[in-house]
Amino acid sequence: MKADAPVVLGEPKGYTAQKAGVKRGIAILDFILRLVGFIGTLSSAIMMATTNETLPFFTQFIRFRAEYNDLPTFTFFVVANAAVSAYFLLSLPLSIFNILRSSAKNSRIILIIFDTGMLALLTAGSSAGAAIVYLAHRGNTKANWLAICQQFNSFCERISGSLIGSYVGVTVFIVLILLSASALARR
Amino acid sequence: MSTTIDITEETSAVAKGKAPLIATTTYSDGSKGNIKTKGAAAATAATGYKKGIAIFDFLLRLGAIVAALAAAGTMGSSEQTLPFFTQFFQFRASYDDLPTFQFFVIAMSIVGGYLVLSLPFSIVLIIRPSAVAPKMLLVALDIVALTLNTAAGGAAAAVVYLAHNGNSSANWLAICQQFGDFCQKVSGAVVASFISAVALVFLVVLSGFALRRH
Repeated sequence: MKADAPVVLGEPKGYTAQKAGVKRGIAILDFILRLVGFIGTLSSAIMMATTNETLPFFTQFIRFRAEYNDLPTFTFFVVANAAVSAYFLLSLPLSIFNILRSSAKNSRIILIIFDTGMLALLTAGSSAGAAIVYLAHRGNTKANWLAICQQFNSFCERISGSLIGSYVGVTVFIVLILLSASALARR
Repeated sequence: MSTTIDITEETSAVAKGKAPLIATTTYSDGSKGNIKTKGAAAATAATGYKKGIAIFDFLLRLGAIVAALAAAGTMGSSEQTLPFFTQFFQFRASYDDLPTFQFFVIAMSIVGGYLVLSLPFSIVLIIRPSAVAPKMLLVALDIVALTLNTAAGGAAAAVVYLAHNGNSSANWLAICQQFGDFCQKVSGAVVASFISAVALVFLVVLSGFALRRH
């Protein structure tokens, strides 16, 4: 015991157990959110990567097949979502460790560091994908970029839908970092 | 050597049974003076560590403000008119021709404004390093600012990439071939926004380390 540190004379019944209980609840919520994020980002990556539409007619000069890797931004989107879903899977053991041991501090700070990095990667990927999807829907008259959604309907629907899963992952990360920080702040 | 134990007055939380009862001990100076100074030194070291983190946090915030406002300003002032014209083509490029760049300017201005407003909280943390409420508030708002910043930077980067390279599959021409100055300014703005995003990542991680010592 250090000198001049406050001395705890007595605690109400179940106080320590209550504190540990709150931290355990936070850790369980953390685990569930990681599962949700895993499913969201994985489904988003798969949905974008399996886009393939071929129009039933053709001419000699114009292209009539649309795939996700025709646009390099979508390749980045798929890679980012796949990497983040792998990260979610790998962070599940650490999350389980936090549930079992409520007073863990080092594992929580490791999770905060990696969660922040992955949040930046996922947000960059999903917003880049959103910008290109917006361009595909609307085009841009000033730059003479035509809206390709006019012709490729199902391709467009699929790439728009795959954005949802990755934004679910972004929201999950925001809540996860807040949860880890509040669990650290409770003594 | 004598020891006095002062029991603090019962707070209402203690009376309700929601908090522990705390007392402080004081040792008179004597042969065991080492213990007192060692304990006090340990406590001062922890506060000094947190104060160092708070000062570094403040400096990072200043850097992030410069980067974010530079990004917004550079993108907002990017406008180029080519010296020739025909009847059919556009020869003026400005940031508000592309809605993604409009979003970029607005989002980076919001992030820069938030960072300026968060400076007083950062100063409060330097003065009083053990305060938890300002720290948690700053963590929450920093995460939101990081998301907004990265979203703006990522979207603008995608469009800048298209402007530089075009896309043969979608028949989108690379406009940077003609508008060189405009492209340079816009790319510089995107780089500045990524610098600000990295600074925000470090801010969030620093706050985590400061909370760990709590």
